[in-house]
Amino acid sequence: MTTGSVTVLKPGLETTEQELPGRIGYLERGFPISGPFDSWSFRQANILVGNPRDTAALECQFLGPTLRFDTDLSVAVTGPDMRPKLDGAPVPMWQTLRVRAGQTLELGPALTGARAYIAISGGLDTPVVHGSRAVYRMARVGGQALVKDEVLPIGSPHASRGEILAIPEAARPRFSVDRRLEVEALAGPNDDWLDPASVEMFFSADWLVQAKSNRTGMCLTGPEFAFAARAINKKSDHGQDPSNIIDHGYPSGAVNLAGQTPIILVNDAPSTGGFINPFTVAGAAFWKLAQARPGEVLCFRRIDREGAARLRAALYRVTSEGVAIRV
Amino acid sequence: MLHDTLRFYPGGDRAVEVELGDGMDFTLNFTVHRQVAALREARIAAIADLIPELASFQITYDPDRISYEDLIREVAAIYARIGADVSGALPSRLITMPVLYFDDQTTDCIADYTKTHPEKVADPDLLCRINGLEDRAALVRRHACTEYWVAALGFWPGLCSLLSLNPNARITAPKYNPPRTWTPKGAIGIGGALCCIYPDRTPGGYQLIGRTPAPIFDGAQRLPAFRDGLTLLRAGDRVRFRPVEAEECAWIDAEVAAGRYVHDIVEYQIYSVARYLDWEKAQKAGARA
Repeated sequence: MTTGSVTVLKPGLETTEQELPGRIGYLERGFPISGPFDSWSFRQANILVGNPRDTAALECQFLGPTLRFDTDLSVAVTGPDMRPKLDGAPVPMWQTLRVRAGQTLELGPALTGARAYIAISGGLDTPVVHGSRAVYRMARVGGQALVKDEVLPIGSPHASRGEILAIPEAARPRFSVDRRLEVEALAGPNDDWLDPASVEMFFSADWLVQAKSNRTGMCLTGPEFAFAARAINKKSDHGQDPSNIIDHGYPSGAVNLAGQTPIILVNDAPSTGGFINPFTVAGAAFWKLAQARPGEVLCFRRIDREGAARLRAALYRVTSEGVAIRV
Repeated sequence: MLHDTLRFYPGGDRAVEVELGDGMDFTLNFTVHRQVAALREARIAAIADLIPELASFQITYDPDRISYEDLIREVAAIYARIGADVSGALPSRLITMPVLYFDDQTTDCIADYTKTHPEKVADPDLLCRINGLEDRAALVRRHACTEYWVAALGFWPGLCSLLSLNPNARITAPKYNPPRTWTPKGAIGIGGALCCIYPDRTPGGYQLIGRTPAPIFDGAQRLPAFRDGLTLLRAGDRVRFRPVEAEECAWIDAEVAAGRYVHDIVEYQIYSVARYLDWEKAQKAGARA
């Protein structure tokens, strides 16, 4: 039930409503999962305002929006520092903020990292499309990027204890300080299409994040790949290039190889296509990709399924309710 | 061509690609859909998404509810039980899509690409040359003379991979290299041995031959065919293309804009796979005779 609203004064750069777990069950019709790119920061923002951690909230990219609250409520900003100001006065990130009707929250550009989250008590109450409020901006599914003067409906808040909460520094995601990020990835599904030396090379080389990276994919620049016999001696149905394969499903986090350009397929990526996916980033390492900026360097650390399970468990712990402390 | 057993390729910690065979044909794709349907019926709660594709399918699962090893054991057991038998009958909708061949929008799109890639032969002419067709009229006759099987959906909401069911109506084409940065909404394309309809203005790589004014994606759900969802087609539907003149195309464009257009969808037919395969064999033999 809608009980309040927020007015968009400045939209920021492709700010969208996102929700977890995203649009589940529609990949087979070509809809991506969508949802917040950095689920660590997203969930902590919700926890700070007393929402269930998967509630719909705003994802800000590189430059945050300016919002006016039309009701009294709680807000929290997490992610990289976008220097939030309430009615012009700096306010802390990673902490519950009490705002009164008529007050204005203004976010600036991210100095490090890329994606910040604004959670609002009660959550965003935008329409559910195919099971989710998550916005797939490119096809305008579930909405579009925020526009000036748009009014966002807010749901009814859960019974609040009126506490001011904060995420202790040790429980927050740590963003790159030296413009390098180590990202955990697994070999497969199509690592057998590459020469074994190229599989090793992927896990040892530096990969530069290109400017044309977004919620669809992150394009990387690095050394060239050599292919295995399977990629070269194949039926014509697969296509002409060694990296072509008969159209198949694309796993979330796949490192998709189109020609010689690896593209990491992330939240709004195509569900299927005709290129190989030799590697896949672990689900619990997505938050790092979300915060990688063009010009930064990724290096991939090879892990197995057990390693990925340990990462998931660690991420689950820091994004559970008990993580916030009373201020 | 079916493999002797299923091949499993894990994709990270939440997905697995299951490959049934190597190639692009109706029989293999039908086997994929049978296996996916059986897996759905098994109601494994940890499975979040299934994507049936031409020769494989992808499972997305919750690894904290089922292990990879248990999951592939269940999938293999189902395959062992139902086997690779291709028979039976299933309800299959027949959707007729009006097409204006060689329309202005796709012609402009091709011309736009040729500005930066002057060596590119115009798509319809390239298709005629590669497929031994004497002229554009022959290309239209071949493209519109068959039903198409909706083999898979993906890449963009509603984007379909269509396989021609008449073995003598195959048209093949290389894909654009590099791809186009834009394609008109509703464009009809051919790439490899597949035909597709572009649901929206998107990048693309298939050779373009025309445009349908009947939408296959409606984000605002204004038309009756989109009452239950944003996309028109489902795997297992059949599509037929009906050539129209510019005048009828313009009328349909106007009906769509007014929110009145009713898609031509036949829902009373049962598609017999065994009878189709017999028919396909006869068609091939007829072509050889």
